[in-house]
Amino acid sequence: MTVTSVQDAGSRPHGLARYRDALSGYAFLAPFLAFYAVFLLYPFGLGLWMSLHDWEIVGDYREFIGLLNYQELWDDPYFWEALKRTLQFAAITAPAATVLGLVLALALNGPLRLHGALRAVFFASNIFSVTVVTLVWSMVLNPDRGLIANGMRAVGLEPIAFLADQDWAMPALVVTTLWWVAGFPMALFLAGLQQIPPEVYEAARLDNASRWAVLRRITLPALARTTLLVVVLQTVMHLQVFGQPLLMTRGGPANSTRPLVQLIYETSFRDWRSGYASTVSVVLFVMMFCVALLQFRLSRQEGD
Amino acid sequence: MTMKTLLPATMLLAAALGATPARAATEISLFRFFGGCSDEYANVTDLSKAVGECGIIQVLANKFNAENKDGIVVKTQSVEWGVYYDRLSANVAGRTPPDIAVMHRSVLPNYQVRGLVEPLGKHFATVGVDVADFVPVAREGVSANGEIWALPFDLHSLLWHVNADLFVKAGLVDEKGQPKLPGSPEELLRHAETMKARTGKAYLAIPSQADPMPTWQYLSWVWQQGGNIVDAEKREALLESKESREALRLLNVLYAAGHANRKHDYTAAQQAFLSGEAAVLINGTWGVDVYAAQARNPNSALKNYVVRDMPNLYGKEAVWSDSHIWVLPKQSKPDAAKLKAALTFLKFLNDHNFHWARTGHLPVRASVLASAEMRALPHRSEYTRTATIATGLPPIQYQRALMDLLINELNSTWLINKPQDKALANSQRAASSILRRSRRR
Amino acid sequence: MNRTFGDRLILVLVIGAAFVWMMPMLWVLSLSLRPNEELVRSTAGILPWPKTLEHFATLLRVSLTPRWLLNSVIVAFGMTALTLLLSSLAGYAFARIDFPGRRAVFLLVMAGLMIPEQAILVPLHAMLADWEMHNTYFSLIAPRLAGPMGVFLMTQFFKAVPRELEEAAELDNASRLKIFWSVMLPLSRPALTTLGIFTFLFAWNDFLWPVVTATQPEMYTLSVGLGSLQGNFAMSEGLGFLMASAVFASAPMVILYVVFQRYIVQGITLTSGK
Repeated sequence: MTVTSVQDAGSRPHGLARYRDALSGYAFLAPFLAFYAVFLLYPFGLGLWMSLHDWEIVGDYREFIGLLNYQELWDDPYFWEALKRTLQFAAITAPAATVLGLVLALALNGPLRLHGALRAVFFASNIFSVTVVTLVWSMVLNPDRGLIANGMRAVGLEPIAFLADQDWAMPALVVTTLWWVAGFPMALFLAGLQQIPPEVYEAARLDNASRWAVLRRITLPALARTTLLVVVLQTVMHLQVFGQPLLMTRGGPANSTRPLVQLIYETSFRDWRSGYASTVSVVLFVMMFCVALLQFRLSRQEGD
Repeated sequence: MTMKTLLPATMLLAAALGATPARAATEISLFRFFGGCSDEYANVTDLSKAVGECGIIQVLANKFNAENKDGIVVKTQSVEWGVYYDRLSANVAGRTPPDIAVMHRSVLPNYQVRGLVEPLGKHFATVGVDVADFVPVAREGVSANGEIWALPFDLHSLLWHVNADLFVKAGLVDEKGQPKLPGSPEELLRHAETMKARTGKAYLAIPSQADPMPTWQYLSWVWQQGGNIVDAEKREALLESKESREALRLLNVLYAAGHANRKHDYTAAQQAFLSGEAAVLINGTWGVDVYAAQARNPNSALKNYVVRDMPNLYGKEAVWSDSHIWVLPKQSKPDAAKLKAALTFLKFLNDHNFHWARTGHLPVRASVLASAEMRALPHRSEYTRTATIATGLPPIQYQRALMDLLINELNSTWLINKPQDKALANSQRAASSILRRSRRR
Repeated sequence: MNRTFGDRLILVLVIGAAFVWMMPMLWVLSLSLRPNEELVRSTAGILPWPKTLEHFATLLRVSLTPRWLLNSVIVAFGMTALTLLLSSLAGYAFARIDFPGRRAVFLLVMAGLMIPEQAILVPLHAMLADWEMHNTYFSLIAPRLAGPMGVFLMTQFFKAVPRELEEAAELDNASRLKIFWSVMLPLSRPALTTLGIFTFLFAWNDFLWPVVTATQPEMYTLSVGLGSLQGNFAMSEGLGFLMASAVFASAPMVILYVVFQRYIVQGITLTSGK
């Protein structure tokens, strides 16, 4: 390993100074590296090791079983169901949040104080914890005393038990999640919009281009990078969905909303099968790794 | 705000914030389900005022805290039933187990084979809990390897809670004018049709949304046919057996014909029964006290409440049952004072076994079972056979995981119309992978 | 179509949408201010009438919520302070000290960005159980200090600081630590503020790890505590109380948001890598 590859190495110190640099460099790094090694690298390795065992979270039963967990995973309909639900959830929520964020950003990218206030409103729900959000929405969606049920009764409709209904539970979780997170992509898009030089719009205005044409030919292309970023961030985030189904539907009705993270949680902490749970974790890791790689490739291509 | 309620509140807050209470007390933590009603029963120590599981256990704890001479404070942590075992095992796994925990008999093997609970035989002898007084089925339930591992608290099982008026109206009565229950699956369906035709009401109310109730009924029917869900060695699942298929079929026929509403959750099913919309509620012994109290209310739509043993549809008498038991989880740093305090509380609970039986559960002490006050409780004479036909799950180590998957799969047959064969095949496969560890051990 | 008319129409639509957006929160706020007896009858309407503060009084008096608030405050401040310290130290080393193996170590650290928290949840739990460290502030905070995001941000920031500012101090023969402390840290106020706010928000709203490691009610954070109340929906001390807990738990965040809104939005721009 040579240091010359580090670009801003500028003036290379020698001898004693170099020794001092090495010492102080690692001294500055040591506190973080300690935590990093103990609480990230080691558990990651341990997780891989655990996935090769029958390993119980309670008591001290551990037995090496090679790849048997992976083999069982392959045959496990619950795993595939959870995988399907996770992908489904991410595949609906990530694009929806992106589009919603984009629409809001376009509508609110104005100079007025009112615009600022409205931006604040849409972003505000982002700062709540998942437990607050699910509490609020469990109540909103409650068939007996919920906000929506009240509204439906007022117009003479029969309230729907959204969270207990096979067809409604997933959409209900998606809507809840959108309410929670959409402010974030909005803010990213707004940041992106700020960076489009005003001259471009000025020129378009002189050309008397229509609103739609400006949007399609100038604004959207300029937001391509931001869009990619948003989609990736959102996808990664929603692949990790956990709190909403755990607290709102417990994965039901009939397993229809149980995502992978909940499967990991339950397999380990309810069924005590931590080895198997680690196996599912490894799969989740691989999935998210792929998304990240994809982003890397895409942004590289675009950069060329 | 009166001083009387303010004071304990402040104490609680102080205790919560880690302040040292004035009195040097031995504080022990009690981990339980049964619901939370600390507000409703704050400061109540009069057992006659308590109704239902939550009320009675809460008042028992209050009473113990107020009256024990050793300065013991039992700190209750009530956890919702649905997540109770997750929380308990998280605490045990995190090496911070509570001092006392409630548990089902069916779950005990999980903890016992891993050495996670204290053996209690010797301790019981010391504090004066008479093990010989436990009825045999209860004693056997908490015994393994010649040791006693828990204090049995009750025997509870499924019952059919009956609205007698609807049976009379439908003409489904025996020669004494009492509700007549079916003796075969065909008769059950005929009765249900009659009920619907003559009264316009549903025959059954079953909590069916993410609830174990239908699964317990299913188990009862499997056992009534002489079948079981695991083999004798508890190594292989038998979920695709003909008994299993038949039991699931019957449940689905009932739902499909509208004799039970598949959309009912626990509250809704109970409500349907209490408001006279369903003739039979399938629920446990724990409901008796509450429904009897409801029926005494003059405004209640349920006027003529009676209780029946699980009807035998297939020839062999059996009904799903389980026990609530109290265990002392093994502590990583044993504390003699806390152990003694916990045992004192267990003794207290055992002494008040009768009060717990007021919920509708069957007491576990022979002396209580035979007592006059027991016989004086309402409706008890209506389900005397239950104690003898009660059947528990075989002692499977991974009972939680197995039951959860079974509940999920069975429910999906009526909730999302999953084909019954597929649900059973999935259950069988998942159960085998769970039992695999039992085979190795 | 007239341009200004179009703009107005959009504005009106967005205002309408904003009302719908705020509705759940406003409604919950109003529920938290109504007596339980009233809520049993009806939960309709937004105006809390008749209103009461009894739920908030109950919450402060008899529930563990104040304790959870305390825990959240300790965890959030602890995690934020330590993250700022560790990240800026490490970021400075990566950006400004030329030591052997720098690139390799940097890559190793950045690889950590690829490991999601869920992937190490189970082994982390097993590890802390072996140490018998669950249900402590340590277990709530320490694992969260290992995330490399803060180091990444601080490294980027320090790299952008002009070297001249440092060189003056170097000529004075000041030690590395002194340069870091009295030159670089004051310069990095904006970056630290952003990182601090995000860490604080994250810590406050953290759920997955706390729900696994904090299993005793005394050690719950607000987020976990609120989740446990939710599980106890049927048996809770009533709807108004539940809603009051939600309002109580989010109030600090709302205040933080109102005060630091500018920084939060700036921070997002920063994370977008521009």
